[in-house]
Formats: sequence, C-alpha cells, structure tokens
Amino acid sequence: MSDETTNANDESAAGKDHGVLYIGMDLGTSRTSVSASNGVRETVYSIVGYPKDVVSRKLLKKDVLFGKEALEKRMSLKMYKPLEKGVLKYSDGDEQERMEVEKAAQDLIREAIRMAKPRKDELVYAVIGAPAQASINNKEAIIEAARATVDSVMLCSEPFAVAYGLDMLEDALVIDIGAGTTDLCRMHGTMPDEADQVTIRIAGDSVDGKLAELVEASCPGAKFSVQMIKDIKERYAYLGDPPERVKVTFPVDGRPTEFDITAEVKEACSVLVDPIVEGLRSLIASFDPEFQHKLRDRVLLAGGGSMIKGLDTAIEQAMHRDLGGGKVIRCEEPIYGGANGALKIAHDMPEEYWEQLK
Amino acid sequence: MADLKSSLKDAVRKLARQTSVDSLKKRGVKQVNVLGLDRIVSLIDEAVHRSLRHKLLSSEREAVVDATKEEFLKLLRSNEELRARQERAEEESNNLRLEMQRLQGEIDERVAEASVDLVAGYEGENAQILLQIQSLFANAKGADDPGLVAKVQELVVKLVTEQRHEVEIAQAAARDREIHNLQRRLKKLNDSLEFTEQKLDEVSRMKNVEEGVASVYRDVQGLKGGGQEVERKKELMAGLFAANMKLQKGG
Ligand SMILES: Nc1ncnc2c1ncn2[C@@H]1O[C@H](COP(=O)(O)OP(=O)(O)OP(=O)(O)O)[C@@H](O)[C@H]1O
Ligand SMILES: [Mg+2]
Repeated sequence: MSDETTNANDESAAGKDHGVLYIGMDLGTSRTSVSASNGVRETVYSIVGYPKDVVSRKLLKKDVLFGKEALEKRMSLKMYKPLEKGVLKYSDGDEQERMEVEKAAQDLIREAIRMAKPRKDELVYAVIGAPAQASINNKEAIIEAARATVDSVMLCSEPFAVAYGLDMLEDALVIDIGAGTTDLCRMHGTMPDEADQVTIRIAGDSVDGKLAELVEASCPGAKFSVQMIKDIKERYAYLGDPPERVKVTFPVDGRPTEFDITAEVKEACSVLVDPIVEGLRSLIASFDPEFQHKLRDRVLLAGGGSMIKGLDTAIEQAMHRDLGGGKVIRCEEPIYGGANGALKIAHDMPEEYWEQLK
Repeated sequence: MADLKSSLKDAVRKLARQTSVDSLKKRGVKQVNVLGLDRIVSLIDEAVHRSLRHKLLSSEREAVVDATKEEFLKLLRSNEELRARQERAEEESNNLRLEMQRLQGEIDERVAEASVDLVAGYEGENAQILLQIQSLFANAKGADDPGLVAKVQELVVKLVTEQRHEVEIAQAAARDREIHNLQRRLKKLNDSLEFTEQKLDEVSRMKNVEEGVASVYRDVQGLKGGGQEVERKKELMAGLFAANMKLQKGG
C-alpha cells in the first residue's frame, strides 16, 4: 500500500489507466455474450442447471452450473432455459415456477458479469441488450439481477444495440435472427419505439424443426436427436447453390448409415425468408414514402441465424421479387454484434445519466 | 471532510499489513496489485457522498458521515480479519502436516522393530547355554553320565524358551498398543487437517481471490465533441436514459 495509486501490473506499468469498466451484454434465448472495456469477450449458452438433490450437489461441488457444463451434467441437474422465446419463460399462474425461472435468469446475468472479469475496485457500468419484447416484469427482474454486481445498469433492445454498434443509426433496417425469435428494427435517427419493431416467431429453432421433419420423411428408420439436427444445421446451413454436398450419418436399426440431405438443409433454411421479407415490407410500407427506398437499400443481417450461407442473397432476391428492390449486408460478427453494440452505448452514455441510475 | 479524510488515511494505514518484497518472492508472488491509499479514501468519500445524496438535512449529515465511516472501517477490519484467519489456518495446516509426518515416521520405526528376526539371536544364545551346562557338568564330580547332561540341557532350553515366549508376547502387546495409539493420533490429526483445509477453502472463497482484468478507462467516458453525428447520438442516449429512468425509478 502506498499513498499513490500504483499498480505493479504489467499493463499499467506500460501506462494503462483503469477505473471504469464498461460491460455490454447480449442476453439471448440461446446464448448470452459479454464484451467489456477490459478486452474480455465471452459467450455462454443461456442454460442454467441446479443439482437435483444433496448427493448431486456433493458430487458436482457447485450450487449452479451454466452453459455447456450444465448440458454435460444434465442428468443430475434441474435445467432451465430462462429466456426461451425471448422472454423469461414460465406458464402463467404458476408462482413457484415463475420464481424459479426468475432466479435462473438472475443467476445467468450474474454469471455473465463475472465472465467479464470486473475488478473489485472499479466502477462497473453495464448496458444489457434484452429481447425487444421482454415484459416489464422481465425487465425489472433483469435490472435487479444486474444491480447486485454492477454500479449502474441500462437496458436497451437487442436490435438497437446491434445497429448502434455498426453506426447504422439512420435509415436502416436491422434483422436479428436468434434461436426463438427474429427481431426486425427500423432505425431513423431517434430511439426506435414499438412501431419500429417487429418480432417474428420464426427463427433458428424453426429451421431445426423443419429440418427434423424433412429428415424424418426422407431418411426412413434414421434415429436422431434435436441437438444432432442443430449441429448439422450450424455446420452446413445454406441457401442458393450448395457449397458442398451435405452427407451425414444416422443409425438405422443400430447400423450407421449415410444420407445425403443437401436438398433438405436448403429447404429448411428457406423457412426464414418469406416471413422476414413480409416483416421488412410492413416496416418499409409504414415509413415516410420519401425515404422508403433508403430503408430498403440498407438492410443489416445479424444474430447467429444470419450465419446461413447465402441468406443475404436469398433475402435480396425475395425483396426484388416482392418489394421491387433491396440491398442486404451481413454483420461481420454475428455472435458478438449485440454485445459490442451494447458496449459502445455504455461508452457513449454521459456520466450524469449513469449517476442518476445508481 | 478534510478531517475525515486524514483520519481515514491513518486508519487505513494502520490496517495495512507490512510485507517485505522478499517474503512475497518466497511465497512465489511475482506481481502485486496495490490499491492506493488515496483511492481507498476516495472510495469511502464516494460512499459517504452517495448516501448523502439520497437523504438528508444538513443537521443529520454528521451522523451519516460517522455511520458511513464506521461501516467502511468495519468492512476493512473484517477484510483484515479474514486475511488473518486465512494465515492462521494455513499455518495450522502446515503444522498438522509436519506432525503427521513425524508420527508416521515413528509408526514405521515401531513396525520395523517388530519384524526384526529374533530367532537367529536365540540360536546363538541357546548354543551358549548348552556349552555352559556341559562345562558345569564336566567340573562336577560323578556327573559324567551323558544322558543326564543331555536331559538337563533339554530342560533348561525348554524353560528358557518358555520364558522368552512370555516376554515376547508382553513386548508385542506393548508395541501393538503403542502403534495403535500412534495410529489413532494420526487419524485425529488427519481429521483436523481436513477440517482446517475446509476452513481455508471457505476463507479463500469468501475473499473471492479472483483479481479481475483492469479496464482501459480511468474515467467515465461519454460522447465528446460536436457535430451532427454526435448530436444525434446524444439524443439517442437521452432517449435510452429516459426509458430506463422510467423503468428503474418509476419516472
Ligand atoms: N453457423 C450457423 N449457421 C446457421 N445457424 C446458426 C449458426 N450458428 C448458430 N446458429 C443459430 O443461431 C441461433 C442462435 O442465434 P443467437 O445466438 O443470435 O440467438 P440469441 O440471441 O440467443 O436468441 P434471441 O435473439 O432469439 O434471443 C440458433 O438457432 C443457432 O442454431
Ligand atoms: Mg439475439
């Protein structure tokens, strides 16, 4: 201890300052990602598991597990996907379940903040990109959880964070394709409101569902799980011309058997296109006619679902067909787009606002 | 506030633990993060300010300042306490380990003793006795009956062997008791070592030793400069803030 703030760490020896840590978080249905001003970037599947009984707790030596680790130990855990369908998921009227899901969401948020490796002696300001259609109760639960570990926190809608991160603030349309929902957001220089957002329930999970259905029909006797289908999709998803044949192996009567499902993968991916173009149409049509073509020519694809090869071109073609034209670009980092944008918002937020929300 | 600051500085200084660089090196520490005294005091200051902002009339301020100060000192002390506890636990566990090593050594020694081959020693002794009896009879008058000598020899060896056997049993019992006691002490030590290590574990978890990674920013940033782009962003930030104000503070 000394009278001056000295820090014998290597970085600060090189003159690096510290004192305020910003965290941007994308709280998604399938994945939660953080990006922070200390250079940390982490992502975890939005899955929370609690030991089923005392014995499992003793064996696991933990009270709560997250992401992949929770998936691996799922036999001895009670599992939650607290953000299913974009909101904290529970059936109405079941108070017990509601409380459990809320706790799982809160534990997940705390874990995400821990992943950002904040120092105990720094002020921590966080912006959380939450699902656009989260209810007031959900938002309050999210805020409450974050407050336990940060000094000040703000929520914003996920697609807005993505757009802000890429400086597409004016005359642009953002499409964020997640697992449970596809969120469309119109940017026109001011804060987007309800009328600027459309949420479609057709997203990554729908592609999985469709692919499972098609595989079932075209690969007689094949045994597979939802996770296998999802893995295949994430490896091969494409639209337009196939970049390679999709050959996969499923057990049939216990014998590994190869199937070519190139056509099925394409057909499954195509379920996204028409609903998205329909959403775009409604957001464009209700906009000032003078600027409609500008919107149409600046469509941004983001979210894990946007990693389908050829999706940008497929949407563009459908827009030409239905809307008379359009231009689609891809977000370069679909996984961290939301978190990076939230981090940028946190950085740009004036000090007095943070102060007032403490 | 100036008084408070300097008295806090003193307090913090007193609480600080002196460590030499050498002793740190010995413990394998290569990097240290030093929390500046000024930074601590300014943290306290901030804590005080924060609680003040939400409350109060000026007459109550003194009380709040004191209360907050006390709160913070308590915190610092409990931190110090925690560290002391950890050190104690570490020392305890080291001592326990040493003691266990010593005991184990003792046990090994006893066990080794028990298995020393006695028979070889007895054979020499027996030969000695036989010789002595023989020479005894050789000098005695009228005792040159070889049958008698052999009989006496046999009798004596039998007696001696019985005697030895009794002694052996008694010795073995004593040694077994000793080994048994040592083993019991070892087990007790082991139990208390486990307990101490559990405590140690708890303490380090409480201290939450994760250091974290420092941010690149020292101060709050916020949009800077002017121009159309920045103005637009400022408006967006204001809009976002307003929505959050409504959500978090109800308006
Ligand atoms: N390479 C890939 N190709 C196609 N789809 C992918 C790929 N990688 C991930 N996905 C899909 O992206 C979806 C998850 O996207 P993302 O991580 O953006 O969702 P999220 O933000 O958690 O969800 P939401 O936005 O609905 O809250 C999943 O359906 C996943 O299968
Ligand atoms: Mg998302």
